[in-house]
Formats: sequence, C-alpha cells, structure tokens
Amino acid sequence: MEMKFSGEFAVSPPPAEVFDLLSDPQKFAPLLPTFSSLEMIDANTAQVKVSVGIGKIRGTATTQLTLTKKVAPSHAAYVGTGKVMGGVYSMISSYDLEPRGSGTLVKWQGEVQLVGKILSLAGGGMRGYAEQEINAVINSLRQAMSPEYQQELAARKKAQAEQKSGWFSGLMRKLHKSEGSAAAPAVDEEAANAAYTAALTAGWSGGDLTPEDITPVLTPLRSLARVNDFPDIVKRQASDKWVHAPLSRKEDSRLVRGQGLFVDDYKVDGMVHMALVRSPYAHARIVRIDTSKAESLPGVLCTLTGSEIAKVCNPFMQIGPGEAQNIRDFPLAVEKAIHQGEPVVAVVAENPRLATDAAQLVEVEYEALPVAVDWQSALEDKCVLHPGMGTNHHWHGVFEFGEVDKAFAEAAHVVKIGQMDFHRFASTPLETNAVVATWQPFGGVDFFCNNSFPAIAVQMIAPALGLSIDQIRCKTHDIGGSFGNKIGTYPYMTLAAMASKKLGGRPVKWIETRNENMLAGGHGSERVYLDTEVALDKDGLITAVRSRHIDDCGAYPRYEPLGCVIWSQVLPAVYKTRNFRIDFNQVVTNKGPAAPNRGYSRLQQLWFMERIIDICAHELNIPGDEMRLRNYIREFPYTTPNGCVYDSGNYPLMLEKAKALIDWDGWKKKQAAARAEGRWLGIGIGTTLDSGTNNFGQARIVNPYLPFSGNSEVATIKLDLDGGVVVMLGSTPSGQGHETTTAQVVADELGIRPDMIEVRTGFDTTFNSHGGHSGSYASQFAVTGLSAVHGACQKLKKELKMLAAFALEASEDDLEFGIGQQGPELRVKGTDRSINYWALSAMVNINTAGQPPELADVTLNIRHVYRPPFQIPDVEKKMGNLTLTYAAQLHIAVVEVDRQTYVPKILAYSAVDDCGNVINPKIVAGQVHGATIHGIGAALMESFIYDKEGNLLTASFTDYTPITIMNTPDLAFGEIETPSPFSYNGAKGMGEGGGAPLHTMSAAIQDALFAQNVIIRNSFNSPGDLYETVKRADRQTAVKVESRAS
Amino acid sequence: MPNAAQLVTIEVTVNGEKYRRQVEPRMLLVEFIREELDLTGTHIGCDTSYCGACTVQLNGSPVKSCTLLAVQADGGEILTVEGLEKDGQLHPLQKSFSEHHGLQCGYCTPGMLMSAHALLEQNPQADRKAIRKALAGNVCRCTGYQNILKAVEAVVNETKGGQ
Repeated sequence: MEMKFSGEFAVSPPPAEVFDLLSDPQKFAPLLPTFSSLEMIDANTAQVKVSVGIGKIRGTATTQLTLTKKVAPSHAAYVGTGKVMGGVYSMISSYDLEPRGSGTLVKWQGEVQLVGKILSLAGGGMRGYAEQEINAVINSLRQAMSPEYQQELAARKKAQAEQKSGWFSGLMRKLHKSEGSAAAPAVDEEAANAAYTAALTAGWSGGDLTPEDITPVLTPLRSLARVNDFPDIVKRQASDKWVHAPLSRKEDSRLVRGQGLFVDDYKVDGMVHMALVRSPYAHARIVRIDTSKAESLPGVLCTLTGSEIAKVCNPFMQIGPGEAQNIRDFPLAVEKAIHQGEPVVAVVAENPRLATDAAQLVEVEYEALPVAVDWQSALEDKCVLHPGMGTNHHWHGVFEFGEVDKAFAEAAHVVKIGQMDFHRFASTPLETNAVVATWQPFGGVDFFCNNSFPAIAVQMIAPALGLSIDQIRCKTHDIGGSFGNKIGTYPYMTLAAMASKKLGGRPVKWIETRNENMLAGGHGSERVYLDTEVALDKDGLITAVRSRHIDDCGAYPRYEPLGCVIWSQVLPAVYKTRNFRIDFNQVVTNKGPAAPNRGYSRLQQLWFMERIIDICAHELNIPGDEMRLRNYIREFPYTTPNGCVYDSGNYPLMLEKAKALIDWDGWKKKQAAARAEGRWLGIGIGTTLDSGTNNFGQARIVNPYLPFSGNSEVATIKLDLDGGVVVMLGSTPSGQGHETTTAQVVADELGIRPDMIEVRTGFDTTFNSHGGHSGSYASQFAVTGLSAVHGACQKLKKELKMLAAFALEASEDDLEFGIGQQGPELRVKGTDRSINYWALSAMVNINTAGQPPELADVTLNIRHVYRPPFQIPDVEKKMGNLTLTYAAQLHIAVVEVDRQTYVPKILAYSAVDDCGNVINPKIVAGQVHGATIHGIGAALMESFIYDKEGNLLTASFTDYTPITIMNTPDLAFGEIETPSPFSYNGAKGMGEGGGAPLHTMSAAIQDALFAQNVIIRNSFNSPGDLYETVKRADRQTAVKVESRAS
Repeated sequence: MPNAAQLVTIEVTVNGEKYRRQVEPRMLLVEFIREELDLTGTHIGCDTSYCGACTVQLNGSPVKSCTLLAVQADGGEILTVEGLEKDGQLHPLQKSFSEHHGLQCGYCTPGMLMSAHALLEQNPQADRKAIRKALAGNVCRCTGYQNILKAVEAVVNETKGGQ
C-alpha cells in the first residue's frame, strides 16, 4: 500500500541556509523524531537508527537514508528504506525551497510505501502511525530552522487542533510518560504536547488558555501511573531462564509503598459500615431482641436480626451426610446462639464508630443453656447443639486397611499409648475477615472481599440468597494472609449482602475486629487420639496402628466434615506401615467454628504418627533418627495402604542434610555434657508431608452424595489490543507471589522477560478465569495454577504461530519466539523476518480484513482449565489417590527446658524442604520460614483455651500471644529437589508445611525431659503445661509395652 | 452523628504536608490517618497494640496509632509509610525488604518499615539483637521474621559500608 503526505511551511532563514541543512544527511537525520544513532555509509547515505513502537512494544528500527537529489539551493530529496512490523517500507521525501521575503517557504512531500502482507493488513492503523511520525519530522524540521516557531504555533493552535492525530499522539505520549517508558527526545515531545493542548482547546472561544489550564484534565492520568519496580528487578536479575531464578517479586512495588489494596482500604461513594452484636454465651436461647434504641441513634441506617433474615435467606449448604444435612446455619443466630461470639444482630451506620455505638444499644435477652465444650460432653448428647441433627456426633467412619489384627498377633512389641491431644489454634492472619457487599439494582451482589476460596464461597452464597452464580461478582485484591482460615468468610459476605439489599444497594463494609476473629473467625480443629496401639516387629519396624480419633470442629461444621477424610491423604505419614484401623469421629461443641488452617487435618495425623515413632523409639530404646531410618518409605512412586500415591521423595537424604545443617554430632556431645550437669536439653526430629492438589472426590468418602471429584484450576492469557500479554488467574494469593511466579513461567514459554507480562492482581469472577475449585488452599498453585498457565501458553503459542506463519509467509515449523527490536515477536529462524505482538494482535483485533478462513478460529484470548488425572475414590473402602503431590519437610530442633521456669528455649533449628522443582527459590524459602515459625508459635505459645462454660480465655492477641521476632530462632534452611513425575514442571505444591514444628518440638521436648521419663502427649507445650506434665509423672499408666519373647 | 460542637480542631503535619481537620475526640489516630487523610498504608491488625501494623512515627518516635487518639497528635509531626519514598526513590529499607523477600502478604510491612525506620534513625549501626528488640512489637504471620531481620541488617551493613 501507499500513503502520500504533503504540506508547506515558512521559516525565517534564507533558502541557502535551509538547503544546507536539508541536503546534509548528517544534519538532517538527527531531526527525525525518535532518532537514536547514525552511521554514515557514504557522503549521501546514512544508516539511521530510530526507536519505534507503541506502548510496551518498543524497539529500534534501522533506516537507510539516501540523499538522491540535490539541486542547490531549491531542491533536495531522500529515499529511506527499512524494516518494520514484519515487512519493509520505503519512504520518499522531497523538499522544494522558495524565497519568501527574507526567509524561505518549504514545500514538502512524503510518500510511504509498505511491502509485506501484514503491513497491508494493518494499513489503516499504519496510516495514522505514519502520519503522526511524519508530522513530528516536519515539526522538528521547522523547530530546527525557525526560532519564531513557538510564536507561530500559538497563532495556529486552532488549525492544528483539527489535525485528527494530534490529540491522540499527545495522549499516547502522556500515557507513555506516566508509565515511565523510554521518553522521546524533548524537542519532539514538546511539539506533540503543544498539539495535544491545541486539540483539547479546539472550539474554545474564551480567553487565552495556557497549558496549565489543561493540567487538571491530565491529573487523573498522572495518578494512574503505576508504581512498578519490576522492570528494574528483572533487569538486575538478568537471566535467560526465569523459572528457578530467585526473582524478587512484582507485588512488592505496591506493598512496600503502603499502596496495596486490602478490603479495608477500599472506599466507594455511599459506603456504610456494619457492626455485629455477638452472643456472650456459649449456648443460649434468644428470648427477646430490642433494636429500637440502636435504630434511633442518628446515623444508624438499619439493623438485621436472625429471625428477620431467616425469612429471606436459605440456610447454608451442609457437606455432612444424613442428619447432618438438617443443620440450619444462618449468618445470624435465629433461635439460639451455640458459641460465644456467634453473631446475633447486625447494625449498619454511616461510620464504623457509630455502628459500634449502636451495637452496644441493642438489647438482647438470653436464657443460658447447658454447654458441651469438649468431646466427652459432646458425645454424651445431654445438650444437643443442632436439634435437626439430633446428636453432636457429626461424623463417623472406620478407615481400615491391610490385616491389622494379624499384624498385632504377630507383633514382637505392642506399644499402647494413653490419650493424646492436638490443641486448638489458628494461623490468625494479620488482616481479619472483611467484605464490602453491594446489592445490584437488578438483583445480584458485588463482593470486594478477602475470601481465599471464592469458587466455593459463591456456591455457598448463591443458594442462600436465592441467586444464580452469575449474579454474584466476587473480587479480591491484596489479601493480608489467609492460611486457609479465610475460606470461612462466606456467612459474613452473605450478611453484608442482605444489609446492602435492605438499604437499597448502598455498599456495606464489614471489617472483623481482632476479638471477633479470635472468637469466630475460624479455628483449626482440635483432635484427640484414644486407645492407640502400635504393633512393631523385633527391629522396630511399625507394622500396624489402631486408634480412635475424635475431631472437635466447634459449633458449625461449614467446611467440615471434609477434615474427616483429608487427614488420610497422609495416613501412614512417611512410614512403611501397611496395616491401619482408625476409627474416625467428629463432634460439634459450643466453641468457635473450625476452618481449614495451614496444614489442615493432615498436620494432626502427621503429629500423631510422629508421636508414635518417638514414643515407640523411646520405649524400645532406639534413637529417634535410627527409628525413622528403619521406617522411612524409600521407593517412589509409593502407593499407601489407602491408595494414595506418593510421587517422589528422599527422606533419608533430607535427614542427613538437616543433621549437617544443625551440626548434629556437635549437639549430641553438648547434650551429653548438659545432661551430666542435670540440664534438660533435647534434640528432636520431625518428618512431615505437605500433600498438595486435592482430589475432591475424597469428599464422597464423607458423604457419597456429594457431586464433587477431581480438581481444576483456570488461567486465561490474551494479547491485548496493543499486543500486551495479559494473564488472569483463578487463585487468590495472600502473599505467595503468584503474579511473579506466573510471569516467570510465561516468560520462559514465550521467550520473553517477566516484566513484559501483565499478571492481574487477585481473583475476579468477571475475569472468567475460574472454575469450581479455584482459590488458594491445599498447597497447590505450583501444580494446578501453573499447569493452567502453562496449558494456556501452549494454546496461545499455537495461535500466534498460525498468524505469524501467514503474515511472514513461512512454515510454522520455521518460527521461533523471542524478543526482537520491536519487543516480543515471532521470527523465521535464521532470517531477519519477524512480526511483533502488536502486529499479531492487530490481525485479530483491529485490522481484520483480508484474512484466510483458516485463521477464523484464532482469538488470542485463551482460557485453559487444568484438570489433574484423578479417579473417583472407592467410597466403601475409603481408598483412592487423594492428592497429586507430596512435598516433604525435615526439621530438627535443639531445645532446652529451663528447670526453674519450664520455659522451652530453642537453641538451634534446621529445616530442609523438598517441594520438587522450585519455581522461585526466594518464595519457597519464605514459605518454609513462615510455616516453620507459625508451627513453633503453635507448639509453644498459641492456643485457644476455653473455660468450662465455653468462654474463650485467649480472645485477643495479648492473651493468645502470636509468636514475635523475640521468640523466633534463626533457622538453618536447606532444600533438596526430587521432581514430581505427576506435574508438568516437576514441582510439588507447598506452603502449608504440614505443621512440621509441632511434631519436631514435641520430639525435642520429650528428648529434653528424657531423664524425667516424660512422654509428650499434647501438641501444645507452654511452660505451664510442661510444669504439669513433669509433675504429673503418670508415664507408668500413659504408655505400656507388651513384648513377645522371641 | 456527632454535632459540630463536639468536634475538636487539630493540626498535624503528615509526611511534610500540613492538615487541619475537625475530628471526634474519640477518633483514633489510625482512623484519622486512614479515613480522614486517605493514607491507607497504615493498617489495623489487632486493635490492642500487640501487632504493630498501625505503627507510624510521631515526632520521630514509633507509636502504635491504634492506641493514640487523633487529638493527642495535635501539633505533631507524623511520618507514615507513604512518606518513606523521596523524590521517586524508595527508602533503602523498602528496597531491602523487597530484595530479601522480607514481606509476603504485605499487611504488616508498613508497620515493620516504620519501626525499623525509627530504629535506624536512632541507631544506624543496630546489631541483630537491637533489631529484634525494635521489632518486638510488630507481628508478621507470613515470613517467620527471618528475611525481615536480613533486610534490616542489610541496610545497616550498607550504611556501614558507606562510612
């Protein structure tokens, strides 16, 4: 195609002077608007490099500029040729000079010819672009030749304003500037800005306007400028391959500036605030509610009570089987409250302080009822929490595998262990649960929230509110930690939605206080282990385990009873034991409802198995490390007795590495010396599994009628209109750096840099990038999320190749991906023929005419759903592959318990992690650190302690004492990588860490108190508890060993 | 709604800018910073001055803004996380937290940065023990504190190197 441009302008210097400038390529070329360098080939020919491009697609183009005609002092003509956007162009420009007064009139003509299929296709877009560039050349020329130019410009404002491209180029330049991309030379920018100003003021008939008058219009553009250090971070990292690079995170740009967007930071016009009145009793009938005083307080907008919402809201779906389906769980207590802190009345007011004031004016009369605050009283069923269920025994099932009785009959030793207890705690993310709900005028609701499993949340909320899923928009942005706890926010989301509905659609914000979070924001469930018996052969190999477990999930099951099966993902822990009979039970009690918590349900089973190992080792007088080496699984993939497949691992190597890191031999010597002095110094090992990527089919083991199975995660990748690569995820990261790791994966797939990829923040149902399992939980993003991203990349690459093959008239097999002079591109291998993403996107989005039918299905907007190859488990036998990957942790702790104060002090700690192939070592190490310190806090400091009336005694941070930097040891961190054969990238999901320090600390403390013959049977070991444990000295009855004479 | 007579006029300088506002006497400093000044980098984590997510500097000292009333800051000079970046240049602590992965969810980060900032102003050569002590009132649930220590130490070492 061909484009012609022409025009004239007058300048003050005489023709000879103007000719001198125009006829010398060395003087002329630098006037090109985006000139970057020049090399003279001969007297008339220059090789000129100019930067070209729009938005992120930038590069340099080389133009050969030849002076073809030179007639002094009236005529000069140039021919320029070069390559651009996968084609070639030639440009002829000529200048005729005529005297005009003492100056010169310059008449110019330009002709641009584009050769190549793509340039023809993109012609419409190219014309505007070329025109823009040519206008800029002419402006530069005039500026160079005429000092009066500025004055003239002012005089011709209006005329210029009519130039259609003027405002657009000005706008683009402003945007580029605010994005901080390579600035064009100042001269050109100034001219373009002037044209932009002129365009904005076109039609203005008032007084003179200055550019400052326009500034207010530009202010919002400036404030949209993104804070983005990521390009610099990527530049510093400088790498060919990005997966496995220890890249600092993209997310940090906003977070270190305090510019994250957490729910409480979100503000919107008309927003009002909800506060809750909560039950002070653990179990009480609601006799009377009087909201009149609250409602009469100025600034209060409405109240909601349980009986009011029960009329317009369905109870939440229950997961449990049989009578458990009759549990009626509403966002507010209806007839009675069944735990301390249960919401009873909601109050909405103009500001949060007024809402709190009004909540205090609500009068509720309660009639206290008897309570069941522990598993024993719950099982007695004297006080039944849920009349519809008729019992507190929420779930029961027997998990039996192998030949348990035979193994016990043949055992060389049988170790019988008295009751063991795993305590109640939570990860207490620093940001509490929160939501802004806005009822929509045509029905439906928008949520800006921090729920970490929104795919389930919307499936819970929609039936409760009588909406279709599509009527719910659920969006997250930055989330201040979740650790599983924030899976449980949906009752509050539903409540805020109903408040917004009552207020005709005003946005209702609810921010949980810390006290509320401790009372009702989601507890990790406690578990008790009864009648535990362990069969061992003569060498200390554990052949069978039988036991009775009771989980206490608090007042409302919500995500439960899934925890009643999830533990069986790690049934034998890391050990070879083949015979198990676990009688598993779950009860409801008058305590805060449970929610998944880092290491969810597996950490209780792992602690149980690790306790068994150490207690048996202690009883049989086998060192803890030796006991483990005898029992470790060593062959992979390994199928457990219940059909789970451990993908890979090397526990002995991890033990060796952890020992080396902590200086095992050195500490053994120090321990002997300390013991000789009567000090209580112990060394403990904990081996842990972090099973990742659930097979939701295991839900059928708790309730065969549930319709779930497998797992899914979604990623969407597209080329935007400007060729930018945009990725949307289905996950809800709360610190795990998904924006960064995703960019690393995509960069490698497309052969570009991570900072060239825009990964959108957070989850949004309108991204259409989610499935029914989307969210961040169960250690899975590296597998599910990145597999979805990887799959989407493959499809996108296929489409890009189809387009490029057509445009470049090449075979797809000859194409390669990479970064060219004009940004991300495809090129024909071994040639300089290439086409960049901008041009490829244009073929689908902007200039779409003239394409062959075989390209008709190309969208450059790819949605990929990753589904791991799971089968539905055998529900009767409770067998099947329940999880895809098994990351492992091996921790060693050296602990001294002070003989006076009973304070357990950590003297050394090593943690070795194996999560298969590592995507980002920095992020992995960070997750391991976090999980470790969380676990140490849980083992020594953090516990939800209830009195016998069901009052939570640790309902503030001051009482719960989350671990601080003062109680934190320095960790010696190491890793091994055993790639998973089941994920495309060899990675295993990680991050939960399986509660590794809980067993490690129990082991180390037991070793420390060896001389006292103490057996640690509780996962929580505060100084007070340890004092009781030592003084109780009931080990004679706690553990019994029966050995068969051989 | 509070009537005008109950409101108290206060004047504070925040990140170098002067603000004059009428506030309820019971308004917390953190509420004032977040709601009135729209500086939402300062967070609320525990309401009881245990977690330090709300830490700002008032007249040079780190304070927990959830446990001060806005009126107590009248006439004071406040520095929040938004004031750490100068002329488009991140503060070395901000850079170092990112470089050493001293943050994950980022919720505690502003408070951590402000406590660390106050420490280094008073003691640019702070050792590990001093850093721990200065950050004892800031809870992080994600990082296990390991990389936060590293990040602050790196800034101290940089300062030492520059001397």
